Amino acid sequence: MLLILEVIGLVLLGGFEFLQVQRGGIDLGGQRHQAVEVAVFALFVPSAILTLLAALSFLFLHRRGWLLAAIAQGLNLAVCLWLYSWFQPAYVYPIMAYCALMILYLNSQDVRAVFRPRQDSRASHGN
Amino acid sequence: METEQFGVEAATALLRRFEPVIRSTTGDRFYPMDVEPYVRACSLWVQRPGEEAVCIVPGGELSLDRLAQQPRDEAGAVHFLKFTDADDLGSDSRGGLGPFRRRARDRKGSKRAFKAGRGRLARVGYFSRFVDALYSIALLARGRVPGESAAAASVAYERIMAEREQYRYHGRVLRQDGWMVLQYWLFYPFNDWRSGFFGANDHEADWEKIFIYLSESESGEVSPEWVAYAAHNYTGDNLRRRWDDPEVERVGEHPVIYVGAGSHASYYAPGEYLTELTLPLPSPLARMTETVRTFWKTRLGQYVGDEDGGAGYFSIPFVDYARGDGLSVGEGGDRAWDEPRLITDPPPDWVSGYRGLWGLYARDPFEGEDAPAGPMYNRDKSVSRAWYDPVGWAGLDKVPPPTEAMEAILEQRADIVSRCEALRVEISEKSGRLKKLGAELAAMRDRSHLDAPYEEGARRVAELSGELDRLRARLATDEAVSESLEEYADRLKAGERDPARSHIVRAHRPASEDELRVSRVAEAWAAVSVSLMLISFVGISLFAREHLISMLVFSIAFFAFAEAGFRGRLVNLVSSANIGLAVVATLIIVYEFFWTLVVASVLVVGLYVLWDNLRELRR
Repeated sequence: MLLILEVIGLVLLGGFEFLQVQRGGIDLGGQRHQAVEVAVFALFVPSAILTLLAALSFLFLHRRGWLLAAIAQGLNLAVCLWLYSWFQPAYVYPIMAYCALMILYLNSQDVRAVFRPRQDSRASHGN
Repeated sequence: METEQFGVEAATALLRRFEPVIRSTTGDRFYPMDVEPYVRACSLWVQRPGEEAVCIVPGGELSLDRLAQQPRDEAGAVHFLKFTDADDLGSDSRGGLGPFRRRARDRKGSKRAFKAGRGRLARVGYFSRFVDALYSIALLARGRVPGESAAAASVAYERIMAEREQYRYHGRVLRQDGWMVLQYWLFYPFNDWRSGFFGANDHEADWEKIFIYLSESESGEVSPEWVAYAAHNYTGDNLRRRWDDPEVERVGEHPVIYVGAGSHASYYAPGEYLTELTLPLPSPLARMTETVRTFWKTRLGQYVGDEDGGAGYFSIPFVDYARGDGLSVGEGGDRAWDEPRLITDPPPDWVSGYRGLWGLYARDPFEGEDAPAGPMYNRDKSVSRAWYDPVGWAGLDKVPPPTEAMEAILEQRADIVSRCEALRVEISEKSGRLKKLGAELAAMRDRSHLDAPYEEGARRVAELSGELDRLRARLATDEAVSESLEEYADRLKAGERDPARSHIVRAHRPASEDELRVSRVAEAWAAVSVSLMLISFVGISLFAREHLISMLVFSIAFFAFAEAGFRGRLVNLVSSANIGLAVVATLIIVYEFFWTLVVASVLVVGLYVLWDNLRELRR
């Protein structure tokens, strides 16, 4: 649910940014900076697709789902941090906050326990 | 420790009855031998602080008797034996290293050659490999056994064996805490783990030990209960196995030992053992890391991975090859044991009188390259625990022998029962006093002229009440323990035994098939990755300085992902990277919206309090 909510949020945020530029017209003079901000929003498309796939995998409790979801959150955050270092667009903050919370949730002991690979019955050797 | 004198014959018969079978690894060159010919071949030296080492007794003139007759020396002086000399190779072979190298070449091509398993570096992480490289470089600066020593030792050993081939152990029999302990001290003339088998160290002389713990019935019958094999410097419960543990392989009544190639560490099962030398973090850093780890796990409920993280975060991997495919000595083996050399009580002078090292003193600050002291002593000349407390050394001091187990249980239960009785009396007396104090307090209530004694009385009542609570809790625990002791005694009476492996916390196991199935690409990657990364850093700093940060981040990410992919640790890497990114993102949000977050937090708390109060009002 949380992952699907994230995808919906990303789509809505992207749509809202796009409409704002549309309303002002594609004026490469005054609106240029904003247009670039919206254009780079496309960087979130791959991670949104990954998130959607992860959500579907989660439904079937597929172990790869966790890895997909984690990679998607990592990609989102990496893109956000990169955008923050260049443009500081306003939309990166809610995405960063949501992704940070999602990472904590995905790394929580309960969630990890569900998606942890089956342990080998042989004990590992030590020192 | 009881110092009961065992008859030589009785002690020898016991030792021979349970003497171990050792199975070495192909390529091993040294086997357990008697100390006498070794000492005869050695020279004796002393190293005084700030001086050059001085030869006290030249080679060929030393004997076991003479070894013990060392004069007192100044503080810090180290006596040591020297088994090999670079000159030995020249004089012995009359052609320098030529004949030895020819022999080594022949051995390499023959079936007796040692073939290393899949690279030890491929089995451990990037940081470990990096620290390993630093360790190898440090070896150049540290004191170490010279490179030709293993070759010279091999020549000297072969010379001794040519005179008279022998395979001998040194045996000691003693009683401690109700146990009869059979000590098998194995002496090897050289440890060539580093030069022969890619291990951690080389040193002249190697003392290894295997202890068997017997219980005695009232009729004097002995039966083996436990065995403990020494491996490196490990001590305690994990060393010990019960005689009926399936891991303890036996030939009749003889336990089988798989000997690590070169290191001569003893193992219960054949295989390749990954031994990691863990370098601990400095204690303030370790404490801080532990605090963060605990907060992360308990407060935030986050997954922290392997619980064995401990205080050491860098480890250097070494593989101990104990394959058991080489020469075996003992019952049913390729060679039989010679008559053991008995270490009687009081110990012979060569054991108790010589506190020096049994081989070259390399002056290695980590001591790995220095020869060990004899069976009775540590390198610092203190008496070793394995000698004065062999039962505690293997963690057996808390285990009563079977013949004493029932008695120990019943005695402990009787102690607890009498303690419970005393507790009941004390509780009854204090409970009566509390009631009287309570009545006194009730009588003083609402009497303003008695305010001061009332407060004093209330304090005493609270104190006594707390004390009673603690006593009752202790009584309840003691009653439960007494009950479980009774059940345990019943189980023992019925012939039930504890699980054979319940005492083992972390068993030393050989690498599994999966671990050994490292692909050749992963092995090649492990061999080149550290150097490749360092070279790429230099390349970036020379040719792409304008994009230094981004290129470094990119290259580190590339190496990290490649490494994680090869080692099947992608999940761990993604998890760690995500946590790092989340921390940075959180810091940015806090930095950008600090006051907004403060206001929002206050607002949330206010709304929560309002909602909570309104909910109470509605009830």
